[in-house]
Amino acid sequence: MNDNIIISTQDLCKFYRNGTIKALNGVSTEIRRGEVVVIIGPSGSGKSTLLRSLNLLEIPTTGRIYFEGTDITDPSLDVNLYRRRMGMVFQHFNLFPHMTVLKNMTIAPIKLLKKSEEEAKQKALQLLRLVGLEDRAEAYPSQLSGGQKQRVAIVRSLCMEPDMMLFDEPTSALDPEMVGEVLDVMKNLAETGMTMAVVTHEMGFAREVADRVIFMDEGQILEEGTPEQIFDHPQNPRTQAFLSKVL
Amino acid sequence: MEWFKKWIDTLYNTFIVDDRYMTLVSGFEKTIVITLGALVIGVLIGTVVAVIKVFADGNKKLRFLDILCNIYLTIIRGTPVVVQLLISFFIIFVSAKDGTIVAIITFGINSGAYVAETIRSGIMAVDPGQMEAGRALGFSKLKTMQYIILPQALKNILPAIGNEMIALLKETSVAGYVAVVDITKAANQIKNTTYDHINPILLVALVYLALVIGLTKLLGIFERRLRKSER
Repeated sequence: MNDNIIISTQDLCKFYRNGTIKALNGVSTEIRRGEVVVIIGPSGSGKSTLLRSLNLLEIPTTGRIYFEGTDITDPSLDVNLYRRRMGMVFQHFNLFPHMTVLKNMTIAPIKLLKKSEEEAKQKALQLLRLVGLEDRAEAYPSQLSGGQKQRVAIVRSLCMEPDMMLFDEPTSALDPEMVGEVLDVMKNLAETGMTMAVVTHEMGFAREVADRVIFMDEGQILEEGTPEQIFDHPQNPRTQAFLSKVL
Repeated sequence: MEWFKKWIDTLYNTFIVDDRYMTLVSGFEKTIVITLGALVIGVLIGTVVAVIKVFADGNKKLRFLDILCNIYLTIIRGTPVVVQLLISFFIIFVSAKDGTIVAIITFGINSGAYVAETIRSGIMAVDPGQMEAGRALGFSKLKTMQYIILPQALKNILPAIGNEMIALLKETSVAGYVAVVDITKAANQIKNTTYDHINPILLVALVYLALVIGLTKLLGIFERRLRKSER
């Protein structure tokens, strides 16, 4: 196995209702360390299902997922240990409303990584500074704007010092004027060399930041390549049709 | 004014002579102790049952525990609490000298069945994204439940738990069936010694009423305060 590959999927399928709905229909791909992969496609194409399968929030019907060389679909493994090393950012932020920003960020490192409260707090404050929210550490999520919530959600994941980050439509629930601040944080994160898999409708972000773009439809990868290849010279007619509608 | 003087005399004779009011005071204490003790047990049992039922939904491994919970819920909700109390005292805890402990346990087990359904609905009302976020960070299902879901669920259902406490307070008035001298039983005893069939009972009614009104007020304050922490 290639050391540079952080996660790979092998013939991943996800069926609902006894196979009448095929959310994923044989997806094989791999992501290298430090790579930023953006997954695009029409709604219902399976792109979110693929992303959510990577940390097993969706259990694939068949197929395998290798994370850092381990087959994490093996049911005898403790999947919680692997999830710690994969951060995830959701469309609806999913911050914990009963905890302050700081508590949101420190609970997992304290409880799971057994960090001291002080150590976790310092790390959290340092990350909050990076996204310009150090003065909101004691605020509750309901006191934040959507863009602020999503920035907190990103740094909450980073507090676990993950090996890769998954983004599931991180800007889709935001007011338009807040999309930029979240994309900026993601851009900066990409520049630090973080491995990222991003499901998004932000084509500008995909073109600018992605190392590789994957186009999915009907549960399959129809085309993948560099942003130039996909956006400027799409080969598959479905890719062409999709891009002509969104660009 | 003649009737008023007569009434005062009756009150004096009923409650003050032989320090009979002390029975009421200790009965009041019993009532409070049983209510609070049962509430704690009820919330504990209710939480455990609710979590098992939520987790058993879609997990075959917990099927046995789920069935056990259903049996518990069916039996407790299908029989009157007085009968449960009698069964506890005369059949299960035969050697128990102090009915108070038996009453606390029995009312607690009884209350747990009702609290379980409330807590379950509270858990279901928490956004499923919260469970996903917890799991994605690497928390197990149980730990996510403990740190993330339950605190939110309990906050949601606080008013319902308050109602349960009020119901429980009044239900404990049947504790006299198992030789516990709670406030109702105390009033009954005073009634029997003094042949005053009116005042002890009315007084006890007033005490319950005052307690319930006080509890309702207290809950309102508590709730408002909890809500403020999030705004």
